[in-house]
Amino acid sequence: MEIKNLKNYISSEWVESKSKELLDVRNPATDEVMARVPLSTVEEVGEAVRAAKVAFLDWRETTPYTRARYMFRLKNLMEERFEDLAQIIVGEHGKIIDEARGEVRRGIENVEVAAGVPSLMMGYNMEDVSQGIDEECVYQPAGVFCCVAPFNFPSMVPLWFLPYAVACGNTYIVKPSEQCPMSQNAFFELLDEADFPPGVVNLVNGDKRVVDALLEHPDVRGLSFVGSTPVGKYLYAKAAANGKRAQCQTGAKNCLVVMPDAVLDKTVASIMTSAFGTAGQRCLSGSLVVAVGDVYEPLKDRLVESAARIKVGDGLDETVQMGPVVSQKALVRILGYVDKGLEEGARLILDGRGIKVEGYPNGYFIGPTIFTDVTPEMTIAQDEIFGPVLGIIRVADFDQAVEVIDRSRYGNAASLFTASGKLAREFKYRVQAGNIGINIGIVAPIASFPFSGMKDSFFGDLHGQGRDAIEFFTDRKVVITRWF
Amino acid sequence: MNLATFGAIMSFGLDLEQQAAAFYETAARGALKGPFIHLARGARKRAVRMERARREGVAEMILEPITGMDGDDYRVELSLNTDEAGLLKQAIALEEATYRFYLDAADKIPVREVARTCKRMAQESEQQKTELEELQSCHEDVQETKQ
Repeated sequence: MEIKNLKNYISSEWVESKSKELLDVRNPATDEVMARVPLSTVEEVGEAVRAAKVAFLDWRETTPYTRARYMFRLKNLMEERFEDLAQIIVGEHGKIIDEARGEVRRGIENVEVAAGVPSLMMGYNMEDVSQGIDEECVYQPAGVFCCVAPFNFPSMVPLWFLPYAVACGNTYIVKPSEQCPMSQNAFFELLDEADFPPGVVNLVNGDKRVVDALLEHPDVRGLSFVGSTPVGKYLYAKAAANGKRAQCQTGAKNCLVVMPDAVLDKTVASIMTSAFGTAGQRCLSGSLVVAVGDVYEPLKDRLVESAARIKVGDGLDETVQMGPVVSQKALVRILGYVDKGLEEGARLILDGRGIKVEGYPNGYFIGPTIFTDVTPEMTIAQDEIFGPVLGIIRVADFDQAVEVIDRSRYGNAASLFTASGKLAREFKYRVQAGNIGINIGIVAPIASFPFSGMKDSFFGDLHGQGRDAIEFFTDRKVVITRWF
Repeated sequence: MNLATFGAIMSFGLDLEQQAAAFYETAARGALKGPFIHLARGARKRAVRMERARREGVAEMILEPITGMDGDDYRVELSLNTDEAGLLKQAIALEEATYRFYLDAADKIPVREVARTCKRMAQESEQQKTELEELQSCHEDVQETKQ
């Protein structure tokens, strides 16, 4: 197989980076190199921003209806190439094909919502705010925006932002994950086919240098980021220092609280997909089960029984239920956390280390792993492991469970499994997390809702997706009018 | 083959339809030509429907493990080296297996639109099976008359 060097896409042209620095993009199931991604230069960032700035002048004057039509076109192209896009994600990331299809579907849904821009972007007005004076608020596009995408949802995450930004009349630059850049490359082929005017959408491959250059560029208005908390904090501060708006969705440590009255069969199935789906590499992965009271013993046994049955392998095999983790480095880090859990006194009741997948001797595989006797002070209860490692904490009652969640520095998601409406209300009212699930393991807001987050899981005011995205990508201009 | 994921079930259904289309197209001969060509067209259309359902119905939030379905329970060995009666018998077995598959899939898949599609597919397979059985009966009558 020919290994190609990925290109940048600037002003509707595929351009080879001048950078001599290239990173290998590896298939996590096989360790084979599939492509090479360039670490683009600061000058190339400048070219992309220039193209986007020039394009903005014309694009913002394009009617919202016309901009919406580009979204319809893009949606159709994505539907046509759906299976191919999903397979590319499996190849670069390792997740199973079902999860990759789910990712592409969610991306398409964002394009569909953004196509509603003629309604979503409407302002508001009031007559007679004073004698003979009217006041109106109009939504205007703000200029050039960019996003820095993570490896775990390399295709979907840019679509939390790009469709809304562009539909609102802004122009855009995507910096894909350097670990998983191929799906964005394929997506930009579709943007090219949709025939957006030159400079409206641009792609610059690279690493931190590219991100810093974007944030330091005076013509970039704002940044959307999804990734780790340290990087998100850094980018948020840097964006503020450079006078830019930013939305940084970051790390997580999500608790799944199980009450004694939970419907156990369905709860266990839900926890399986939450903890081990995408090999635990979702920012919405449930990584701590908080078992309340008597449910502990039966729940623990059922979790081990179900997790042990999960078939691990190459994500392209439809019968496989969990793929590899994204890289050798990630695997080593996750194994380090397993060691740390043992050192700190947690009990390993399902050990996924050393799993062998027939025909894939070089894949970055680790099987579902479960610890019990976990306490909130332990490292594995506090850090985001980002792998298929589930810890079980035992607590006496609901209040203690809420306490465990609220002690965490993160506030991305939390779920409660119960048959009690009263407790469910209490949970969603009290818990400090942006995305709350009641009998749901993966609390993933759909496109018309914001992907929320609190505490160290989010830096900013407006989130990705839905109404928040429209607000983020527009300026509100107030006009007060009196006619003599 | 354990059908333990949404995609595994949907892809299995897609394979069944493609297998059925290929079988009917190749076996369309003699008195079976008209009905089998009709069935082959139907299977191609149903394959498209299954692909669409897999593409549009995937719901990431509830990609939970599915238990209790095995592809081997719905596999039918098909052979073209037989006479019309043999082909009809296989076609009936195929529609019977397809019917059972979609009925079971409709029960397991937690996405209403996809479950509805599977129920519709089951109804169609059942109808096709009935029509094939009627054809088989006529075919047997003709054979008896000839004798």
